[in-house]
Amino acid sequence: MIDILLALLTIYLALQCLLAPRLPQTVFMFFAFGLALALAWVRLGAVDVAITEAAVASGFLGVLFLDALQDFSLSASPKRRGAGKDSATQPEKQGWTSYLPGVALGVGLGLFLLIALEATWKMPEGGGLTAAVAAQLPQSGVEHPVTAVLLNFRAYDTWLELGVILLGLLAIYAVGGVKLYPRHNNVADDPVLQQIMWFFTPVLFLFGAFLLYIGKSGPGGAFQAGVLWGSIGILLHLGGKLVFSVIPRWVGQVLLTVGLGFFLFLGFFFLARGAAVFEYPPAYAGLLILIIETLAAISIATTLTAIFATLNQENKKEVH
Amino acid sequence: MSIKELITIILLVIGCFFFLAGTLGVLRFPDLFTRLHALTKADNLGLGFIAAGMALHIASPWAAVKIFSMWLLMLLASSTSCYLIARFEKEKDAPKNKKEEL
Repeated sequence: MIDILLALLTIYLALQCLLAPRLPQTVFMFFAFGLALALAWVRLGAVDVAITEAAVASGFLGVLFLDALQDFSLSASPKRRGAGKDSATQPEKQGWTSYLPGVALGVGLGLFLLIALEATWKMPEGGGLTAAVAAQLPQSGVEHPVTAVLLNFRAYDTWLELGVILLGLLAIYAVGGVKLYPRHNNVADDPVLQQIMWFFTPVLFLFGAFLLYIGKSGPGGAFQAGVLWGSIGILLHLGGKLVFSVIPRWVGQVLLTVGLGFFLFLGFFFLARGAAVFEYPPAYAGLLILIIETLAAISIATTLTAIFATLNQENKKEVH
Repeated sequence: MSIKELITIILLVIGCFFFLAGTLGVLRFPDLFTRLHALTKADNLGLGFIAAGMALHIASPWAAVKIFSMWLLMLLASSTSCYLIARFEKEKDAPKNKKEEL
């Protein structure tokens, strides 16, 4: 009964998210959709995915969306619209090429959906690979099957995921985080915000470290911890304490790449010693996974903070 | 049904009532400040009662401490964000009011 209601709610929120007439409504529907999805993951018993969903989709993406919303409201305000009027009154060329990205995206997503449906259809009976993972679990160095798969059996995928996040940041850097209307944040020096910032920084750090460590034996791990640590950076940034203007440039670069780099180094180190890529000796596997997860969480946190710091236009002047 | 279960249900129902009232307030109140009032009231009292009910339901002291700290953190976060939104709204309106006075 609860599951049916939850499924209906999720679909309803997704439709609302697409069909809402105004942009702010879309964004808030997306928050609600993310939370409903996280609840659905909890009901399915995938607490790892639920935490990540809540932290990344509703938390981090929500912050980015709110920031983008502010930019849009600024660019669409009447004063700005008056300034850009001459370009708007020109007859716009709407050739068939302008629909091309949309059509390509639609076809791609449709194909992806079909493949996903087919994969769901062909799902093997009896839980798929659960038994195989459970049999190999003692060798992985951790007690939680999800962590064992992510950091040991399928470490290559996780490594690529770290690369994808870094690539996203590089793309944002390449675009340059162009800000047309730099403003200054006068709320940043608010005493209440400063106090709450100093209160929440250790709390978030502690909770992130807990999630990182608990990943060994339960739901948690590098991505969840990284998002929590990244939220410290975003909080500090919003409070006017610009992380990337305090630490030297090279320290930032090292922090951004240390997760990916150490993962790669470890993979090739064991490759050189005759094992397969990302095959750890079972005796050290637990320790190695903990080190990798810590470094990966640091990299993820730094990357998320950097993405936000580049995209957020408040305090833009001071960053560069 | 034991006394404990009864109290749990009562606490949860009271919490749900506050969330319902808060949602109604957000939807029906005329301006931002009154809506903020409704929203934070739902956060404080609704979540407080639900947390109390859940703590009683789980009935382990360690879980109760965790749930209580969750409520405290939520209180801090919601009241701070409410205050910041209210302050932003007030500063945004400030010049307009001055002009009206002149």
